[in-house]
Amino acid sequence: MLWYKSWLDTRWRFLIPLAVLVINIWGLLIEYPHIANLLRTVHIQPDALSESGVLGRQILESVAAERTYSGYIWYQWFRQNLSQLGTLCAVLLGSGSLLAGSSGAGTMFTLSLPASRNQWLIARAAVGLAQSLALVAVPSLEISLLSPKIGQHYAVSDALVHSMCLFIVAAMFFSLAFLLSTELNDIWRPLLIAGGAAVVLSIIESRYELNGIFRVMSGSTYFFAGSIPWIGLLISAVLSLAMLYGACVNVARKDF
Amino acid sequence: MSDAYVIETSDLRKTYDGPSVAGGIDALRGLSLQVPRGSIFGFLGKNGAGKTTTIKVLLGMAHATGGEARVFGLPVRERDSSVAIRRRTGFVSEDKDLYDLMTVEQIIRFTASFYSSWRNDLEYRYLRSFELPPDRKVKDLSRGMRTKLALLLALSRGAELLILDEPTSGLDPAMTEEVLQTLVTHVASQEMTVFLSSHHLTHVEQIADRVAIIDRGHIAVSGALEDLRETYRRLQLVFDGDAPEPAFRTAGALRVERRGRVITVLCNRGVDQISAEARALGAASIEVMPVSLKEIFLETVNGEN
Repeated sequence: MLWYKSWLDTRWRFLIPLAVLVINIWGLLIEYPHIANLLRTVHIQPDALSESGVLGRQILESVAAERTYSGYIWYQWFRQNLSQLGTLCAVLLGSGSLLAGSSGAGTMFTLSLPASRNQWLIARAAVGLAQSLALVAVPSLEISLLSPKIGQHYAVSDALVHSMCLFIVAAMFFSLAFLLSTELNDIWRPLLIAGGAAVVLSIIESRYELNGIFRVMSGSTYFFAGSIPWIGLLISAVLSLAMLYGACVNVARKDF
Repeated sequence: MSDAYVIETSDLRKTYDGPSVAGGIDALRGLSLQVPRGSIFGFLGKNGAGKTTTIKVLLGMAHATGGEARVFGLPVRERDSSVAIRRRTGFVSEDKDLYDLMTVEQIIRFTASFYSSWRNDLEYRYLRSFELPPDRKVKDLSRGMRTKLALLLALSRGAELLILDEPTSGLDPAMTEEVLQTLVTHVASQEMTVFLSSHHLTHVEQIADRVAIIDRGHIAVSGALEDLRETYRRLQLVFDGDAPEPAFRTAGALRVERRGRVITVLCNRGVDQISAEARALGAASIEVMPVSLKEIFLETVNGEN
């Protein structure tokens, strides 16, 4: 029943984004034939673009990638939409701890029940992470399911690998919001701080073309070279676990 | 620590750290308390005296900074013990803090899932007698209904100890009476101990058999209600002229007030000796009067201040 309470607390933060992402996939697939036709007419002079700086190189990468269906899916979905929305959703799901003292949260009632604070937090984190996983995996698998409808094929294994990369890095932002929520009682400050951290990291990584977490998140090495970014994923997972542990330690020492 | 007591605290201390308060706020300052098994124990104190902090420490919601507290003989500090204590304890918080998003039925099923000792018979009985609508969301319940639901959730746990923090706060007199009657009837039919925190003295007086008065974080008075009523007396000494400066040597004179020809003495023992001293001072008349719990309370907390 610990799970049930966590589910009730977060269900709309999960179901609404899930619906948005699922609908987003339909749009993406419906648009593909038009994009493919458009790209066939586009001719890019690589030298000119690569000399025009970071933005030019990004356009070049985008056009080059999107000339194939799998490239289009990777760039539009895994590198753009899902990286951004997945991070936002993870932060949203991690914000607002079960034991935060907001009105109507029933914190005193929760703490009067015969379950330890760790049990509550672990249940809450597990539900939130499962929801984050579903948010990236369900729409991604939908691509494999619906691609034949537009005469294309997208491998389930590719969808799963990219979903895994996205989930593990998004879990880091979930854990950051979760940790912040054990210290800040409202939902908004953890949301803004963790979301702000993601935006800043993303801008720095993009501006300086760093091989950072958002490249790990999009699984670019897997797309280009077929290699899973294990080290990046491992670092993200360790950081997530450290932050979740920190959340448990913080809640254990708190007075309510 | 003894089996005869369900709750025992010894020199319990709690200091809350505050960014604006140097050294923190001392909520509990050496609180020593013993709640006998099977009693209805009234825990009295003004707002901010430390009642809720004591309850939070007992239930593991706040950590003591010193001293010791045990419930059912188990130390409240240890995590596993704390869970075991809560498994045997029903609790109603002052705010009747429940899950607003759940319906009455959902929160009952949710709470029941934590207790193997859950009493379905009591659940049905109180659901009926309190006329709680199972399908209504908790957030849509009136304050009285919310109190009744909190009480149902606490009573149906099959708990050995019931901790109630201001259970009647915010209720109208009729609802208050209903809640108190439910408690008395329930306790009469079950073997349990009730720890009732309140600043409504008449409510405590109505149902408690033992009381403790907490003032600024420590116990000022504690004992069986009947004993307190028996031992506390107010002596009114009337003199023919202006009353002399009182100087009672007898221990037990807690508070002495002089106004014109009258000296009033509140004492908790040695009535005869104090009366003899008053006669020696030249008192024309001595009247010995019983003292209500309210008077004991007010004298205690005002005297302490």
